[in-house]
Amino acid sequence: MKRGMPRIGIRKMNSIEVEHFTKKYGDFNAVDDISFTVDEGSVFAFLGPNGAGKSTTINTLCTIQEKTTGALRINGNDVTKDKTLVRKDIGIVFQETTLDGKLTVNENLRLHCDFYKVPKAEVDERIRFVLDLVDIKDWKNAAVDSLSGGLKRRTEIARGLVHFPKVLFLDEPTTGLDPQTRANVWDYINKLQKQKNITIFLTTHYMDEAEICDKVAIIDHGKIVAHDTPYNLKKKYTSTTMKVKTPDPNLLGAYCSEHSMKFLNKDGVVTIFSTDVRAVMEIVSTFKGSIEDIEINKGTLNDVFLAITGKEIRN
Amino acid sequence: MRAIRAILMRNLIKFFRDRMRFIFTLFMSAFFLFVFSFVMKSTAAGLDHPMNYLISGIIIMTVFQTALNNSMNILEDIASGFMKEILVAPIGRWQIAIGQILSSSAIAVLQGIIIVTIGFFMGLTLDPFHCVIMLGLMMLVGICFSSMGLFLAALSKESTTFQIIISIVAMPLTFLSGAYIPTMVMPALLRPIVFLNPLTYTTSVFRYVALHMENLSTPELVKAGVAFDIHGFTIMPYFGAVMVVVIGAIFFALCVNQFGKADFSRVKVFRRGHR
Repeated sequence: MKRGMPRIGIRKMNSIEVEHFTKKYGDFNAVDDISFTVDEGSVFAFLGPNGAGKSTTINTLCTIQEKTTGALRINGNDVTKDKTLVRKDIGIVFQETTLDGKLTVNENLRLHCDFYKVPKAEVDERIRFVLDLVDIKDWKNAAVDSLSGGLKRRTEIARGLVHFPKVLFLDEPTTGLDPQTRANVWDYINKLQKQKNITIFLTTHYMDEAEICDKVAIIDHGKIVAHDTPYNLKKKYTSTTMKVKTPDPNLLGAYCSEHSMKFLNKDGVVTIFSTDVRAVMEIVSTFKGSIEDIEINKGTLNDVFLAITGKEIRN
Repeated sequence: MRAIRAILMRNLIKFFRDRMRFIFTLFMSAFFLFVFSFVMKSTAAGLDHPMNYLISGIIIMTVFQTALNNSMNILEDIASGFMKEILVAPIGRWQIAIGQILSSSAIAVLQGIIIVTIGFFMGLTLDPFHCVIMLGLMMLVGICFSSMGLFLAALSKESTTFQIIISIVAMPLTFLSGAYIPTMVMPALLRPIVFLNPLTYTTSVFRYVALHMENLSTPELVKAGVAFDIHGFTIMPYFGAVMVVVIGAIFFALCVNQFGKADFSRVKVFRRGHR
């Protein structure tokens, strides 16, 4: 579909389609009947606490794990039946380092080009292009083992891109990186996405990274509990977060449960989540005599996450 | 083809880049040669070419051991995480398996060649024709036992398990092959195992070539331990070569199959690198 064409009546291509996907380990449902789609050329964030089923989903989409039931497709190819076609289309940056430490950056990339049948005449140019993109030209001939964590990550991203994938999976690509490198890695990813219009499937622990995505899905206990744009999610789940310090937090807690409002009572500070501004104002006027300190915040994705799963994301 | 060659080249580059390993390989070859030729001198006494007799046994043992042990490569790849990169690439598992088998065979053959070279200085006599045949046999042995090693590695998936399996497999195969202890002196109870052991035939064919036995009669070959008489049915050395091919093919198929269905994604990975 050409850009700028009217969308009315034309179905936008789905890069990733997941229908009723279930993965069982024995009796345990690691992923329990989830369905979602990701539009072509968009950035999709897949969030969830540890053990919620993120890795299982990403591994199944990447063809290294088998589903129990359901259908998963990438660019229309089934991940179980057409493994090779799917593998040609995707690039993956795994959570852990999967580079060959004994080889140089250049050798790792070259090996990758051989695996993905990049035309031989293009190999040198493509390697130059991706090394430029993530700014690691100077380390081209260094052994991977001798590189710092940030450089390894950049090498890994370069490798995930060198065969020009249509869909790029980033499984916590910036975990363990310092803020500066993290910002750089995102610059590279954004630059690339603009240049090549690839679809990005991202899992992350950093909510600020999820904020800039087109769509966010939150998975908990193997089920998708929310799936929308970051804006809509924030609007729906977090109009206001209010932290109140009071001498008798239990009384305020009781008031909140009575009015069926979500709250957390921790260290004498009650955090109240409400989508209704008037209800929040009501609390302030009811307890105004006993409030020692108050902090009212506009919702963030982190709050969305907390409100939905009841957990901090970095648990 | 390109993927197979890429895996082969990668493993060879890594082998040569790891200086310690390369030096140790050389050292081990020389060590085997000196120690075993000393130990086995008494068994070889009275033969026409004692040096050829000894060295042929040692070469075959070295190639066998190296081929089997080199399959450790893939366990290292699993532990370092690199296996994941290979598994998500659009290449068949059989291609990965073949690349691995070819590289460990190549390294094993290289080690064999080193021993032959050292052997020449110690009195080994071979003409070019025999050299070519021996090279072919070494390749055959390399491929046969690399397949076996990779099969066992794909089965065990962990280096500790693999080491145990390898020692359990390698010990009886080595001692019941006739390379160190002549098969004629073994008790009747063990003889069926001797005849099922691919290494038995490998050793006998190798000796047959190394000792220039083309002109010997069948009873003489049986007496020399390179042909086998099983209840009146004689296995000639070249039939033994066919046996090695067959056993090699079986293990090759088993290995490709096992490698194809093994689930490496749930193997515990040591978190190295940026974590």
